[in-house]
Amino acid sequence: MVLVGVAVGVALALVAVLIPWLPDAASEQAGIVDSVYWMVTIICVLVFAAVAGVSAYAVYKFRAPPGDTDDGSPIHGHTGLEIVWTIIPAVLVTAIAIYSGVALGQSDDLPADHRVIEVTGRQFTWTFTYPDIELEKGRPLTSGELVVPVDETVEFLITSEDVIHSFWVPEWRMKQDAVKGIVTRTIVEPTKIGTYPVICTELCGLGHAIMRSQARVLSASDFNAWVKEQRRLAAEGASVQGTALFTAQCGSCHTLADAGTTMEVGPNLDEALKGKDAAFIRESIVDPSASIAEGYQDIMPANFGELFTDPQLDGLVEYLLEATGGG
Amino acid sequence: MAVDVREIEHEPVHAPPPPRRGLRRLTGAGWLRVLWTMPLAWGLGTLLVIGVRSAMGFEPLWELQVLIVVWTIVVPLAFLAALGGFDYWAYWISGRPTRSEDHSGHGARTWKDYFRVNTDHKVIGIQYLVTTIFFFVAAGLMAMFMRAELARPGMQYVDTNTFNGLFSVHASLMIFLFIIPAFAGLGNYVIPLMIGAPDMAFPRLNALSYWLLPIAGLIMLSSYLVPDGGAFAAGWTNYVPLAVNQADGNLMFQMGVQWAGASSIMTALNFLVTIITMRAPGMSFWRMPLLVWANFATSTLVVLATPFVAGSQFFIMFDRVLHTNFFNPELGGDIVAYQHIFWFYSHPAVYIMMLPGFGIASEVISVFARKPIFGYRLMALSLMAILILGFSVWAHHMFVSGMQPWIRIPMMVTTLVIAVPTGIKVFSWLATLWEGRLHFTTPMLFASGFVSMFVIGGLSGIYLGSVPVDIHASDTYFVVAHIHYVLFGGSLFTIFAGIYYWFPKMTGRMYDERLGRIHFWMSFIGFNVTFFPMHWIGLQGMPRRVADYSDEFGNWNFAISIASFALGASTVVFLYNMIVSWRRGPRAPGNPWRGLTLEWQVSSPPPVFNFDEIPQVVGSPYEYGVRGARHAVTNGDRAQVEEREKVQA
Repeated sequence: MVLVGVAVGVALALVAVLIPWLPDAASEQAGIVDSVYWMVTIICVLVFAAVAGVSAYAVYKFRAPPGDTDDGSPIHGHTGLEIVWTIIPAVLVTAIAIYSGVALGQSDDLPADHRVIEVTGRQFTWTFTYPDIELEKGRPLTSGELVVPVDETVEFLITSEDVIHSFWVPEWRMKQDAVKGIVTRTIVEPTKIGTYPVICTELCGLGHAIMRSQARVLSASDFNAWVKEQRRLAAEGASVQGTALFTAQCGSCHTLADAGTTMEVGPNLDEALKGKDAAFIRESIVDPSASIAEGYQDIMPANFGELFTDPQLDGLVEYLLEATGGG
Repeated sequence: MAVDVREIEHEPVHAPPPPRRGLRRLTGAGWLRVLWTMPLAWGLGTLLVIGVRSAMGFEPLWELQVLIVVWTIVVPLAFLAALGGFDYWAYWISGRPTRSEDHSGHGARTWKDYFRVNTDHKVIGIQYLVTTIFFFVAAGLMAMFMRAELARPGMQYVDTNTFNGLFSVHASLMIFLFIIPAFAGLGNYVIPLMIGAPDMAFPRLNALSYWLLPIAGLIMLSSYLVPDGGAFAAGWTNYVPLAVNQADGNLMFQMGVQWAGASSIMTALNFLVTIITMRAPGMSFWRMPLLVWANFATSTLVVLATPFVAGSQFFIMFDRVLHTNFFNPELGGDIVAYQHIFWFYSHPAVYIMMLPGFGIASEVISVFARKPIFGYRLMALSLMAILILGFSVWAHHMFVSGMQPWIRIPMMVTTLVIAVPTGIKVFSWLATLWEGRLHFTTPMLFASGFVSMFVIGGLSGIYLGSVPVDIHASDTYFVVAHIHYVLFGGSLFTIFAGIYYWFPKMTGRMYDERLGRIHFWMSFIGFNVTFFPMHWIGLQGMPRRVADYSDEFGNWNFAISIASFALGASTVVFLYNMIVSWRRGPRAPGNPWRGLTLEWQVSSPPPVFNFDEIPQVVGSPYEYGVRGARHAVTNGDRAQVEEREKVQA
């Protein structure tokens, strides 16, 4: 029986170790979460091996021959055993609880010098605001993609403008719901340069599956260059920024051949905007309820007018006009 | 029991009411009365809404939201009244003669007897099981549609609205119309027999609680017919604000749950009173079979917790229809409060869906291992421990919800501690196998399949109970894998074990053992190939409740979909076996499994009032292998026992 248990245990341990169960660990917090994960895994593998070993042995050893009418041994219980299998699991889960509690404290730790980024979820886009970075006078930098410098702790202050969303970057291991009316927070210190998905994990309606963005972790100098570029684009107001804006904000729902986006939550803009003038395009962005394409529902966020600066809006309209051959 | 004067004046005992003739047939309880009352109630309800709205000057007069609420209340009530669900009470209240000794509502002689307000717990048990299997198949088909859509990334067969509707209705039907009531059906059939009672404590309440069930199911199913938006699509959890913002179909969930919940509460009260007051002489609590213990614990959970889910859905309905602001943060409402109320029911609901299964597993494993259940008292006590702890863990569903952070640690501790009583049960089942003589019949296969699958579901629950791991894994496919290991590998396998185990008792016929085994192995393998990889894709970054997903998960999802179709096909084997065996299977003896519990000491199927003579319980229900031990004696063999005692003396 011990042999069966050991065999099952070894097989399970191989499955547990050889398969890369968790994605790349790209934050300080990911290391903490992963250590808890592996501790739980070791305990669970041992418990499962014991259970599977006993079951396999019992099934093999105590199977009754066909037509057998005898009864088994009338064993009613064993106080010692019962105490053992009450105490051992109690000790194990206590260990897990303590370790998890300590890990939770560590991952919640917020150093004094940290960056604040405000995350706003709305059906079905994410907006990231950098309150410490001024884009132009009196207006903070906002972006549809999350860009952060590496090795700097970020406190994400998260809220929603409509239903509940949930902000998750699998490689960072941290997740937090975005709830209208309250500000929730999560703390991440990205440790690896790279591009990771930002995923909404709370069912938020028709576009839930495509409510995605990306998190780009840059070196400090690249991050500063990115900020500079954002300032330049904001000042320019030409259609140069139209493509970038479209991809970040509109492409998660709309197909547009020119921008290379293919989502089908909202109307295909190659068709819906064909031959339309600038006024119609502007109205469709600022007040999307005014005209609903046939076969679609009135679900487009109504606050893009507030989100974009006037130059940005001009640039987007100009870009769409060009891309769809209207005007 | 006090003798009521009316009982003395009543018509001859057992006499059914005289048959009605001509037009009067339309006013007698039954489907003819249903035919005209339901449209009448629908019309009156509609008139009421339009009348009130026009009097108040509300526009538009035809407001579908309000109408759905009124319809889903008055039409089912009319149905229940017309079918005869309230007749006895109505007669009693209005002072007309009641037939308290009229047993024409008892037992089933033809198939038609299953389609009326039958007060026989055995008929009601079968009504429950057949109804729940119907909804199981319906909800299973929805899962097949989902897996077809998910086989490839991108959108293929359905749009996202339909997809969200599919998984919402799938989960709601599986939970409220299959697992919970299927256990209620098995309990209904078996509990009175197991405790040596002639019926449930409140047979008319029992009949009513059954008939609420198809109402709930049909309301949920018919949400697909609601114009503009179709079925409710905010998940079975129906989180606000999404639930408040959604199209009118969402009301069908809010109202459907009320009927299912009411049915659940009525049955649970009935179980509690029956178990407490109607045990045969000599059956102390410590001589009750563990299935009875399990239903005792479950019923307590149902009675205490179900009002919370009813309340949570009523609050959403009020926010939508009456424009209250329970969950509107702009006017002082609290979104997270909904989750607390909802999970205060819905976490105990996990145990409502699990404890009866523990009971079934204990019965089946003991009989087919030919051994007493190991550590009987600790098994019963651990059920009670789970019952109590089960109320203190609800917020582990909300570790990332934005609730007060301090609650996370205590809720994590209670969540992990629940593993201790659960572990005791698993280890005791294994110890029951030890040195037994194991007969791997279909029920035993499903019961042992349950133990191993439930261990996996329990262990993945440890991961989710640990806050740091849960922050990563919550709302991903890891959770989908976990709940299916618990509810499919756990609850569903025990339901199958129970159905096969008591099939001979219920139908008087044996099922086909070979088909039963095929069914088990198809489900067992299909189940594992379907759900085990979901742990991995979840941890890797695939969120749950999505119709479309990142291309990297394409191959895994394709494999999962193929396996899920095999799993779905296993149900066809099950249904074929059940239907054909019920009609033409070989006759079953009274006690095909050589069981000691009381239900096996009567004929298959049992007499209308279960026991010709109420048995005297003299010992534990699991004394397999103990020479001369008896669970119960009747007058017939009492002499025999006295004889042996004399010899021993």
